[in-house]
Amino acid sequence: MSKFKAALQSQVGRKLITGITGLGLVLFIIVHLLGNLSYFGGPEAINTYSHTLHELGGLLWAARLGLLVFFLFHIYLGISIWLEKRRARPVGYESYNSRGVPSRQSWSARSMIITGVILLVFVVFHLNTFAFHDFQTTVINGVEMHDVHARLTEVFQHEVYTISYVLTMVLLGMHLRHGVWSSFQSLGWMSRNSNPVVYSIAYILGLIIAVGFIGLPVSIYFGLV
Amino acid sequence: MSDQQMTIHLKVWRQKGPNSKGELVDYTMDDVNPHMSFLEMFDWLNEKLMKQGEEPIEFDHDCREGICGSCNMMINGQAHGPQKATAACQLHMRQFSDGDTIYVEPWRAKAFPIIKDLVVDRSAFDRIVEAGGYVSVNTGGAVDANAQLIPKKEADIAFDYATCIGCGACVAACPNSSASLFTGAKIAQFAHLPQGEPERKERARAMVDQMKEEGFGDCSNFAECEAVCPKEISITAIAEMRREYVKSLFD
Repeated sequence: MSKFKAALQSQVGRKLITGITGLGLVLFIIVHLLGNLSYFGGPEAINTYSHTLHELGGLLWAARLGLLVFFLFHIYLGISIWLEKRRARPVGYESYNSRGVPSRQSWSARSMIITGVILLVFVVFHLNTFAFHDFQTTVINGVEMHDVHARLTEVFQHEVYTISYVLTMVLLGMHLRHGVWSSFQSLGWMSRNSNPVVYSIAYILGLIIAVGFIGLPVSIYFGLV
Repeated sequence: MSDQQMTIHLKVWRQKGPNSKGELVDYTMDDVNPHMSFLEMFDWLNEKLMKQGEEPIEFDHDCREGICGSCNMMINGQAHGPQKATAACQLHMRQFSDGDTIYVEPWRAKAFPIIKDLVVDRSAFDRIVEAGGYVSVNTGGAVDANAQLIPKKEADIAFDYATCIGCGACVAACPNSSASLFTGAKIAQFAHLPQGEPERKERARAMVDQMKEEGFGDCSNFAECEAVCPKEISITAIAEMRREYVKSLFD
């Protein structure tokens, strides 16, 4: 067992866990996005979706717990890798430039710690705004349920919330642009041929997710829906 | 190509010893021949410095044909300078323009402490190799060339990884100062050959552990290492290292 314990603390293991938890969080984000998009189906669609989710009970709590564990590991390792990087080069360069392709040292790659920390702060506020909110109730098909639709419509009338939400989603897209590709490389799934393909897919995925999340608040704010 | 002499402004890191405080010192050379290699320009500068009674700039070099891995200079913020697949010794002044200002700094990493000026101690790499980057089987006399058949494709992949000259550019260019490309290449070159098979598990674990022990940072998949590697070793080596490591955990 000590072999596995050592492995988790090794530089390979640390990236492996960062990658696995990162991909797990991406899956959650995709499901979350699909849930959000149900707003466009009207109050009945999103409220019923939310209600069905809450009806899962124990299963939902298990998923929440798993999500929390993934999140904590991902945060811990991300910060730890950043601290380690600072320790590994106590004196920096006076002049430093990337050589360019095949380097993957993009803006998103260099700012993972910044986008990551901002996303963490966002999640705290986000949970406070929605998950821990005392929802009004509504009755659909004779069943009383949380009126998620009303809450969303109310929140995204506010400029500050809408703007900060949109900006954070841009940062999320950036985080995924490097993160998704990087996860596959960390898991050792990359070959010379698949590398450019996965790198492009990560870009497209980051873009789709960012645009997907931005669509809802913008539509509500401008009264398009 | 013009033979006209160039004026080059240099900002070179000077540091008397491991514990001294260093600084960038300005030198202007108004008679640089474009056909000089980067190191020849340094020879020329050092000759002038010595004639003036100043201490010459220390820098590492040996073969000067891009195969020994001795030269290590951060040139304008890029390991080995701006030219792809080229070690500093094979970089020529024609890559620069008349009047250019060039920053020359040593590799920066805690695991590569500065000895003097541009010279760093890269014995951390030796210790990573000592941890498992070898085949410890006494084979006796050389066997017949075709006695053990290795598919061409596998031999080529192993050879690509084996071209690593251990110069340390990967560490120098990495924002995290990670030694993953070096260690990956040293592990992966054996992973494709039957000779590496008996010790493959111990090798992967020992070398990965040693890499951390030496104080190199974690790999964040920036792939800057591949971009600056004078031998163009692909980060596939790092993916292979990770696969080898994970496989080594299961008997």
